[in-house]
Amino acid sequence: MFKKLIAESTAKSPWLYHINSGSCNGCDIELVAVLTPRFDAERFGFKLTGSPRQADIVVVTGPVTKQSLNRVLRSIEQVPEPRCIVTMGSCPQSGNVFKGSYSVCAPLSKYVHVDVDIAGCTPRPEAIMDGLVKATEILKEKRGQK
Amino acid sequence: MTSSILVTALQYLGYILIFPGFLFCFLCGNLLIGIDRKLVARMQKRVGPPILQPFYDFFKLCGKETIIPAAASKTTFLLAPLVGLAALVVLQLFIPIRGFSAFSGTADIIVLLYLLLIPALAGILGAAASGSPYAGVGLSREMVTVIACELPLVLVLLAIAKAVGDGTGAGLCFSMGAISEYQIAHGSLICKASMIPAAIAFLMVIPGETGNHPFDAAEAETEICEGMLAEYSGAPLAVYKLTHAVKVLTLTSLFVALFLGGVGVGIPAVDALIVFALCIVVTAIFISLVHAVTARLKIEQLFKYYWTVVSGLALVSLVLAWYGL
Repeated sequence: MFKKLIAESTAKSPWLYHINSGSCNGCDIELVAVLTPRFDAERFGFKLTGSPRQADIVVVTGPVTKQSLNRVLRSIEQVPEPRCIVTMGSCPQSGNVFKGSYSVCAPLSKYVHVDVDIAGCTPRPEAIMDGLVKATEILKEKRGQK
Repeated sequence: MTSSILVTALQYLGYILIFPGFLFCFLCGNLLIGIDRKLVARMQKRVGPPILQPFYDFFKLCGKETIIPAAASKTTFLLAPLVGLAALVVLQLFIPIRGFSAFSGTADIIVLLYLLLIPALAGILGAAASGSPYAGVGLSREMVTVIACELPLVLVLLAIAKAVGDGTGAGLCFSMGAISEYQIAHGSLICKASMIPAAIAFLMVIPGETGNHPFDAAEAETEICEGMLAEYSGAPLAVYKLTHAVKVLTLTSLFVALFLGGVGVGIPAVDALIVFALCIVVTAIFISLVHAVTARLKIEQLFKYYWTVVSGLALVSLVLAWYGL
């Protein structure tokens, strides 16, 4: 019973940690739009945390520049299990307009397992919300397997 | 003889574990935080999380992996949150609900002052043990917050002790039980002219003590990564979140016990409900509303505010009480 309670709670209280890996700030602003009154992600229990240690879902924006790659990977490692990695915008998936640049390491999936990709440049808040809710379902599954 | 000892022991165990101890603190504290979060959301024109959200957060955190940093000293890091929570649960046992209190003594206000300090000290110890520079900044700010809140709190309690002491002819009265009895006999303290500034000062101390907006410089998540909690994850973090919830319950119910002690009908269960309803009202106005309309203060602004405005109000009350108003 206790196990089930924890699994249910995990799906209802996903805390976000946001990493900007050289993003143009478009996605970052859109993520803020999801959390503020208009779309209010807090009604699903989403909360932005300041420290990766407290997070469940890591949201990565930006094309993962060479400078930031190591920091992104280290931050992700600091997130306790079960965790879920979400890439936001086209940049961390393909490199977007920066593809082929000497200083860009995208896609992020070459380095870590990515659970959910939210495509778009920038994605609409509805799409972000949809992706995040999918991430909570994956989180619950991971919790159940443990 | 032995059976009566056993019954007493069981009774106290019930007090500590169920009411007004751990279980009551867990349920009502988290409920208060849930109501607070919902109200803040409504004030910001959001839908807001469900009222049971703090419970979900608690159980989720219990199921997460607990990471202990390599630089941390393990025992202190893990024990600090438990010590803080235990102190608050004990504190809740001393707070009377219209004459009924699990523990009482002749000078329990002094015990209460010390117990109120322990969660903050435990937090500081745990943060120092985590070895994180962000926690270092957070703990230095937390120390300033504690010192800032302590002076007005002591002045308020002195004013109450004097007012009640004059009423009962005991000089200074430091017993929560006697304060409660006095209020049941003579009406709530907030009705006395000399106690109104003290009540306002106490209400202003509540968000500072609990570390809520605008006095949350110690846990500023946007600038110092949650400050003292930067390295905490999993179950110890759940205990910290619970400690915060219980602290809100403790301080609001302390306000109700000290200033609104005369409210009630005399049936313990109904009185407990009335006290909890009053706690919700106090939380709604002095934590949620204040949270929704203010921005975070800098630590020196916080200190100045508490040692001038709030302490000044408490001092006015103390002087008035000394002249017997």
